[in-house]
Amino acid sequence: MIAILNINWQTLADAVGLGSIYALMAVGIGLVFGVLRLVNFAYGQLIMAGAFALALASQWGWPLWAGVLLCFAVVVVLSALMEVIVFRPLRGHSPAVMLVATFAVAFLLESIALIWFGSLGKIAASLAYLQRPVTISGVDVRKIAIVATVVAVLCLVALVALLSRTSVGLQMRAAAIDFRTARLLGVRANRVIGAAVLISGVLAAAVSVLLTVQSPLVTPDFALRDTILVLAGVVLGGMYRLGSATLGGFVIGFASGLLGGALPTAQSQYLPSFLFAAVILVLLIRPQGLFTRSQQQAVERV
Amino acid sequence: MSGPLLELEDVVVRHGAVTAVDGLSLQVDRGEIVGLIGPNGAGKSTTLHAVMGLLRPSSGHIRLQSRSIAGRRPEDIARRGVALVPEGRRIYAELTVDENLRLGLAGRRARGDVAGDLRRLYDLFPVVEEARRRPAGGLSGGQQQQLAIARALIANPDVLLLDEPSLGLAPQMVDAVFETLTAIRDRGIAVLLVEQRAQRTVALANRSHVLSNGRLRLTLEPKDADDTQTMVAAYFA
Amino acid sequence: MRRSAGAVVELGVPALLVVAAALLATVFSHSTQTYFINALVNVAIVVALYAFIGNSGVVSFGHISFVALGAWTAGVLSVPAAEKPAIMPNLAHGLRTTTVGNVPSLALAAAVGAAFALLVGLPLMRLSGLAAGIATFGVLEITHNILRYWEKIGPGLNTFSSVPETTGLTQAAACAVIAVVVAFVYQRSRYGRVLRATREDAAAARAVGVSMYMQRLIAFTLSGALAGFAGGVYVHLLPLNTEALYLDLTFITLAMLVIGGTTSLLGAVVGALAVSGVDSFLATAENGVSIAGWNVDLPAGTRVVVVGALMAIVLILRPLGLTGGREATLPRWARIGSAP
Repeated sequence: MIAILNINWQTLADAVGLGSIYALMAVGIGLVFGVLRLVNFAYGQLIMAGAFALALASQWGWPLWAGVLLCFAVVVVLSALMEVIVFRPLRGHSPAVMLVATFAVAFLLESIALIWFGSLGKIAASLAYLQRPVTISGVDVRKIAIVATVVAVLCLVALVALLSRTSVGLQMRAAAIDFRTARLLGVRANRVIGAAVLISGVLAAAVSVLLTVQSPLVTPDFALRDTILVLAGVVLGGMYRLGSATLGGFVIGFASGLLGGALPTAQSQYLPSFLFAAVILVLLIRPQGLFTRSQQQAVERV
Repeated sequence: MSGPLLELEDVVVRHGAVTAVDGLSLQVDRGEIVGLIGPNGAGKSTTLHAVMGLLRPSSGHIRLQSRSIAGRRPEDIARRGVALVPEGRRIYAELTVDENLRLGLAGRRARGDVAGDLRRLYDLFPVVEEARRRPAGGLSGGQQQQLAIARALIANPDVLLLDEPSLGLAPQMVDAVFETLTAIRDRGIAVLLVEQRAQRTVALANRSHVLSNGRLRLTLEPKDADDTQTMVAAYFA
Repeated sequence: MRRSAGAVVELGVPALLVVAAALLATVFSHSTQTYFINALVNVAIVVALYAFIGNSGVVSFGHISFVALGAWTAGVLSVPAAEKPAIMPNLAHGLRTTTVGNVPSLALAAAVGAAFALLVGLPLMRLSGLAAGIATFGVLEITHNILRYWEKIGPGLNTFSSVPETTGLTQAAACAVIAVVVAFVYQRSRYGRVLRATREDAAAARAVGVSMYMQRLIAFTLSGALAGFAGGVYVHLLPLNTEALYLDLTFITLAMLVIGGTTSLLGAVVGALAVSGVDSFLATAENGVSIAGWNVDLPAGTRVVVVGALMAIVLILRPLGLTGGREATLPRWARIGSAP
């Protein structure tokens, strides 16, 4: 099996790296879904905006830290705008309407990028050196695979600490289970949703940085494919629990990294079909997701 | 002190075409328990939901210390000192007992002496302290009810609203809940209690209003407790 | 009497809008007519979307896969046999040797669209809300992926050139009217009315013994047929490829339906025509146009920004769409006049 798949350590490391990036995206999507019951289709466009910020900064000759700072600022501001202009007026609408609306926002942002930067895109090259391999006990591993994994683990640890140790984290968890009761207890909806959107934005910015190393050419459809795959992963894992959504994201990233790198093209080109067939199957027979234990689903919305 | 702590005046609440609460007026003051009794669908829970901001009254006034709160958001009303123990308790089963309790802190107006308040709550509800680190879903129904009341009290409310707290509890547990309410009243909190157990409510509360079809029909006092059934029956006959 | 007058208006107004658009097109130059033809094809696609989404209240992101399959069916079967090896070298033998005319190719496109929708609907119609949205999106992804790489059934990554361009103004208008009539007959039928009742109140419909699953499946299959048909018409208009039948088209047609008003046939037609109009104008402006002495030259991408913004605004401010989700009705004086 292994021989047919042609897996080597480098492919494996890359797959773990990609899985880590997708896990971060899954957390970002899952956090907002938790408090708003809204699947943010436009999450990929936040990442795209961050990537353009990096590309511009490198074009202007800014130092790396300034570019990363710009990237975080752009993505976080854009997330906040999205929450205030789009999500807030739509609160309480049916999930399907909100899905259509974020679909529209996604296209809107992509076209704005198209107008602004053209379809050819820009290069974000300031972190390109992370593409180079390091040799660990005789095995060549690209630095980005290590960096992505480390960043993802650090982010997840920080997030878990935030959710379990702080009052706003506790409130976010409660709101994701039953928002109405949380509000009756005095939990401010805007604060909790704002926090979720903000954290999700910070994660998107981190993903922007990592993804531009993977593919330095930034185009208006940057991260679109990745977002679609992560959405599939989130559904596969179970979107009603942050942990299972994250695991779902990781598995999708890991699987597509591994199979994409290891399968011959004739098979790997149909990978999306298999993934989405699996998504549909899971929706039909295990709507709560693969990695969620109970049938229990929180349905209360704001 | 200007006016009663909580005051409803001619409150009307509609669910679509149905008028659930129809011109209700009542007052609850510091250190008082006021009971709301009546058949299912009489508008008791709807009244609490209107006070809490879950429903917007179509007319009338709801005032907290003479300031109107009708139409405000639930979280804002909670943060002005009104706490609700909702029907069915609404405990977060997968969070720990302690986490459930800490969620109640969201409604606190001032930080104050949280540790001291916790101490006093633990004295009132020992089980809440014993089970602190366990998932709240593992508690019995009566224990969950105690947790729900403790979670409301940790916010230091001026007004406590309870929606059928004895529902589905074993008899000794019902006794415990009613005793707790007396202790809460003695702390100077205004209590508005919605209950199905009419006789016990009348005996406990300073006064109890009988609702039917959204209207206040009759007001009973503790001395009427033994005759609750006959008085209500006579009124509706 | 009043009922039938109401029906005439309910069908007549959308149908007349289609005919009026076609007639208006005849006063313009040949190159401008293309925009009108495109708009009429959009009407057919959006009406297909409406037949399911509007009547059931369930969102589908998957309808463009039926359009794509219809386009593939009509396209593969009507490319002249001599030219097939050039654009579709790996085509399956049976498809390579079969060539049909314009009308049969459209009928087959509708049949294939219906068959695929039925196949997909059998499992998927149990879902609603978010799950239905994501599952139908999965269908779009799978169809796109397979059509892109499976060269036995079509041109794969190539563009469908050499399909006879039979979709002129007349064919586009006729097909849009056919779609409108079919959708109208369906929504007036017992099935359509029952499905609309489940949309308003699922619990009540279930209580009187309506199988929501069955009713949705019927609507899904019918709208699959309409979508396949529209795909056939589309491929006879211009050379298509898989990218033209994917996310962008899904977005723009959903936007048309939402902007017009999801719950009415009139909304579908109005939305398709209005958004196509705006879109065409902006498309011209992107290539530079002179209006009343002003030189307008919009950057590429403006169209989608405007349509996306329109859609977001409508969703937020007027969730029922431009028509308020209502059908055309007689003006009040006419209704009083026709009363017995």
